[in-house]
Amino acid sequence: MKKVFWVTLFLFAASCVACTHTGGTSKPTAYSFTIDIPAGWRKIDRPYLLVTKDSPFLQNIMVQNRFIGKSFRYTKKKMQREMLPEEAAQIIIDEYASDQNIGNLKVLNNTPAEINGHDGFKILLTYMGPKGNEFHTLYYGFIKADTFFNLRFTAGGRQYFQKDIETFKRMLNSFQIIKANKS
Amino acid sequence: MIIRLSKFFFFLPGLLLLALSTGCSTPSEPVVSDMLLTNGDEQLLWQKAEEEQRVQESSDLIYQDEKLEAYLNNVAAKLQPQTAPAGLSIRVKVIRNAYLNAFAYPNGMIYIHTGLLARMDNEAQLAAVLAHEITHCTRRHALRAFRHFKDRRSFLTGVQQALMADIGFTGPLAAVSGYARELEAEADRVGTELMTRAGYNPQDALSLFDHMISAIEQEGSEEPFFFGSRARVRERIDNLQNRPDDRYPHQRPAIKNSDLFLAKLGHLFLDNARLDIRLGRFQAARRGVEKFLRIEPDNTRAHFLLGESYRQQGQDSDIQKALKYYNRAIILDPNFAAPHKALGLIHYKKGQRALAKKFFESCLQLSPNASDNAYIKGYLRQFTSSEEG
Repeated sequence: MKKVFWVTLFLFAASCVACTHTGGTSKPTAYSFTIDIPAGWRKIDRPYLLVTKDSPFLQNIMVQNRFIGKSFRYTKKKMQREMLPEEAAQIIIDEYASDQNIGNLKVLNNTPAEINGHDGFKILLTYMGPKGNEFHTLYYGFIKADTFFNLRFTAGGRQYFQKDIETFKRMLNSFQIIKANKS
Repeated sequence: MIIRLSKFFFFLPGLLLLALSTGCSTPSEPVVSDMLLTNGDEQLLWQKAEEEQRVQESSDLIYQDEKLEAYLNNVAAKLQPQTAPAGLSIRVKVIRNAYLNAFAYPNGMIYIHTGLLARMDNEAQLAAVLAHEITHCTRRHALRAFRHFKDRRSFLTGVQQALMADIGFTGPLAAVSGYARELEAEADRVGTELMTRAGYNPQDALSLFDHMISAIEQEGSEEPFFFGSRARVRERIDNLQNRPDDRYPHQRPAIKNSDLFLAKLGHLFLDNARLDIRLGRFQAARRGVEKFLRIEPDNTRAHFLLGESYRQQGQDSDIQKALKYYNRAIILDPNFAAPHKALGLIHYKKGQRALAKKFFESCLQLSPNASDNAYIKGYLRQFTSSEEG
């Protein structure tokens, strides 16, 4: 139980997490996208869309639209609107690689990807959290105007990753931008 | 490999962070010549230190360079006091981390970050940091801090602070953020004595600390580590400057070993520059590479990294500089694929398709199995389809 507590803290920092059960299509007006949340997954109240089936430290899917000028936590590099997908991917890899809480980071895959008709990237990472737990993250991202969209699936270990990867792909396929930022 | 950390992983850093709080009294001074491991709490500290070291060493954080490690340990051996507690063995290892830090475990294990080493210019500066850390071990500062704070009710607060301290894998048990001011001052005072006795001039460390303050100011943000804090580095400078009794005797030439130091660090400058580029600290990366170029002016990777630092900085004026360094790298080693790709990207973004195509194709030829080749193939497919269209 303590392990769950610490890993959850690692994933989401120490703050209040309120959970509500949801399903169907999420169309929050604050987001410039819509996406289908699979039945049985619950939404966690965060500034970005975060859903989980069992527990966030076992598996979670995060979808975020962030201003390209917003700073990352570790790297000082910033997204730029004219960046190529592979340049954006490199920043994400650099951010993970510079995270003091992550060890043994491995980039298993880094390729171009199309997300809802937008040219982007796909990265598959494995790494170790500070409690020694292994994580797998599949990270999709693309830049549209002033917005960096990213969709990522993180699972604690290979077993949970394999179990829910198809769910994530279905969710990814349902992703649609409903409002582009000013260009 | 799964590494499990004990809950103590979060325990002592909290205590040590609490030690930073103002108004704490000076921890009682143990007798330095006491045999180690005679007390339960010191035994516990050593056990936990060893547990954490196992974690460090089974991760990919340890910088592997046996010759460098031997050199660092040789310098540390020259600094060891004659009155060190029996059974204490000082050892030095390097951690692959661009942040400015060095820290010591109570059992004598000292870790120094590549980022701190890359900021140094000579052996005297290295000696200053090692002498400071050695003193933390020989004066048993961890034990003194532990005994001073272990009964405080603020334990839980300490744990929370440790969690929020963002120190991650890098030396949680050791004093990553520093001890109480009195203990740090003692480490400075005894450290300068050790340096002087070993033939180094403590004043030579001043330029390192000045560089570090400039670097912290230049980067615009402080790091979560002892040597990454402007206030803490300023304390080191004040302690060095305010000890006229420790002036190095002018009649004795002081050891600096600048050339030897640069040669021994060698590729560490480049490896750390790559970490600095990842962090977006492009100026720091260039300073490290330029030091390396003093040893090997025609090193391909060094020129490539300079190119990377300018290209990734992303300003129009930097691109010309990047082109110069990439071209130099290709002249030095035409078979090194990375600068071909970088040049391809620059020309691609400028809409210079013929040049981009040429460099992308040469990159694929030189490195047909690179993990990110799918991007290059995609660019080339675009060229083909637009030609066909």
